[in-house]
Amino acid sequence: MSDIALSRAPRRRGKAATAAGLQRSTTATVILYLCVAIFAVWILLPVWYLVVSSLITPSQLGVKPFPMVPSSITFDNYLSVLTGATGSTGFGSTDMGSRLLPAIGQSFFVSSVLVVLNLVIAGIAAYGLSRYPFSGSRLFELSIIVSRVVPAIAIIGPFFVAFRVVGILNTPWALIISYNVFTLPLAIMILKNYFDQMPREIEEAAKIDGASRLQTLWIIIVPIARPGLVAAGVLIFLESWSEFFYSLVLTNQLTVPPLLAGFQSVQQFNWNSLAAATVMSMIPPVVLVVIFQRHVVGALTAGAVK
Amino acid sequence: MAASPISSGALTRGDRLFGLKLTAPAGIILAALLLVPTVLTVLYSLHDVPANGRSLGPFVGLENYTIVLGSQVFWRSAWVTFVFSLGFVVFSTLIGLAIALLLNQRFIGRGLARALLIIPWATPWLVIGILWKWFADGSVGGLNAVLLMLGATTEYYDFLADPNSALVITIVAAVWRQASFAGILLLAGLQTLPDDLNEAASLDGAGVFQRFRNITLPWLKPALVTVTVLNVIYAFLQFDVIFAMTQGGPGDATQVLSILIYRQLFGVTQIGLGSALAVILGFVALAGGLLTVKLLYRAERQPA
Repeated sequence: MSDIALSRAPRRRGKAATAAGLQRSTTATVILYLCVAIFAVWILLPVWYLVVSSLITPSQLGVKPFPMVPSSITFDNYLSVLTGATGSTGFGSTDMGSRLLPAIGQSFFVSSVLVVLNLVIAGIAAYGLSRYPFSGSRLFELSIIVSRVVPAIAIIGPFFVAFRVVGILNTPWALIISYNVFTLPLAIMILKNYFDQMPREIEEAAKIDGASRLQTLWIIIVPIARPGLVAAGVLIFLESWSEFFYSLVLTNQLTVPPLLAGFQSVQQFNWNSLAAATVMSMIPPVVLVVIFQRHVVGALTAGAVK
Repeated sequence: MAASPISSGALTRGDRLFGLKLTAPAGIILAALLLVPTVLTVLYSLHDVPANGRSLGPFVGLENYTIVLGSQVFWRSAWVTFVFSLGFVVFSTLIGLAIALLLNQRFIGRGLARALLIIPWATPWLVIGILWKWFADGSVGGLNAVLLMLGATTEYYDFLADPNSALVITIVAAVWRQASFAGILLLAGLQTLPDDLNEAASLDGAGVFQRFRNITLPWLKPALVTVTVLNVIYAFLQFDVIFAMTQGGPGDATQVLSILIYRQLFGVTQIGLGSALAVILGFVALAGGLLTVKLLYRAERQPA
């Protein structure tokens, strides 16, 4: 199930294939490639514009119409954003650029801690739900599904108050705690589905050999379940990397998304730097998913059912 | 899914207790993080909470709800949410379906095309908003450049400053992301469709559209229901894209309910009213999701 998508399915060639219309007429081929071209433009045009904007100077940006193929490129925007020399003297007088690298670091920290914590907590819960259903386990699963429609904005108030009392507002811990609201249910759904599809024979055998339930979980299940754990881990990382609202309210531009939002309002006249920062914020999640796409898409299908 | 061999029946009481123990940590965390704040928000919505939020303030019953439901701002915002959601759900689902059908064909460069599909989905919602805000910008935007090149316009136009086009552009931006998500899920569904079905139908003389209607569409029904329900929920709860692009403006043209609640809670700090709005939004999202499941599954049960 984990590699059904985005993989090359072997197909029979020959009579049946021809009969099924896999042999296309010229017209059909032309239409097909035309559609592919439209698809590519739909996805790439805004991204291309962003990337080009990050590689040209402000004066080139002002050219009308916008130079979709720039005459010259520069990496100054990236350099200035990374070294904190964006020349911003906007209100707050903090150079937004100097905060990008720390924000990327915080985003990585928050996301990584959550991945580890959630895989452990959600992993054992999902295993329990899958193999040892108890009375009330069905209700628990249903409430996890329902939790998806609780608006973040509806529960942010109590978090804000509680974190102020404990004194962890504006720290990564505020985010590591609050992000569980959406990452933990996601991880449980994905892993439960994964365990449900895993054969039980090996566990039965281990049981007959005298392994305890906990031993079975640790020695047998964890190693075989690795692809599922990787997939769930990538999705948790993605969700916490992308999260904006909790980070906006509970911290002062600690992670990348709220920093970019703040950047946007201060740097009204330096779209090139913002474009460079935006490109950099897109790279980690996109690269991560492209690397693990086979694992991730299967798990996404399972997690989406929630 | 069929009942599993080890589970159901064969479980001893110790087994069930073990399952409960394994699930307890996650259960306790989620109860603390979801149930408690939700109950608190419902409580807030029934009180006249002081702006500092330190206490609940006097109990006012349903007064906050009466005020909200009697205000024009709310209904205007609800209407904007409805229009945004309708456009978002319809176009995300349809474009996603079209993309999935296209990428399920065999063509040169298909692997690359499927990798492209990942970009919008993996991009944070807020970044999508920033990206499209600038793409649609009135002075430097690429959208204007394209329209100019195509000869559709003669000069740059500030889409986000015009109340009518602002809502359309926020929908387009959100659809750009969500159509990819829908496309990925539906493509995964399509890839499980056995070739034999299509081949047999083709031998029986079924045309492309007949095969789509009678084989592909029924096969995709469960995936389509999932995708549509998720789209409905994402639509009602959408915040990031609109916040990045317009912050609800110009005026209140793109002020969906989540933006209104944000302003209510953090702009004018009316916690009681904001909480009442939040409870209403939660119910709308829940009802929308359930209604979608019901409608789509009822449609399935009817003979084609």
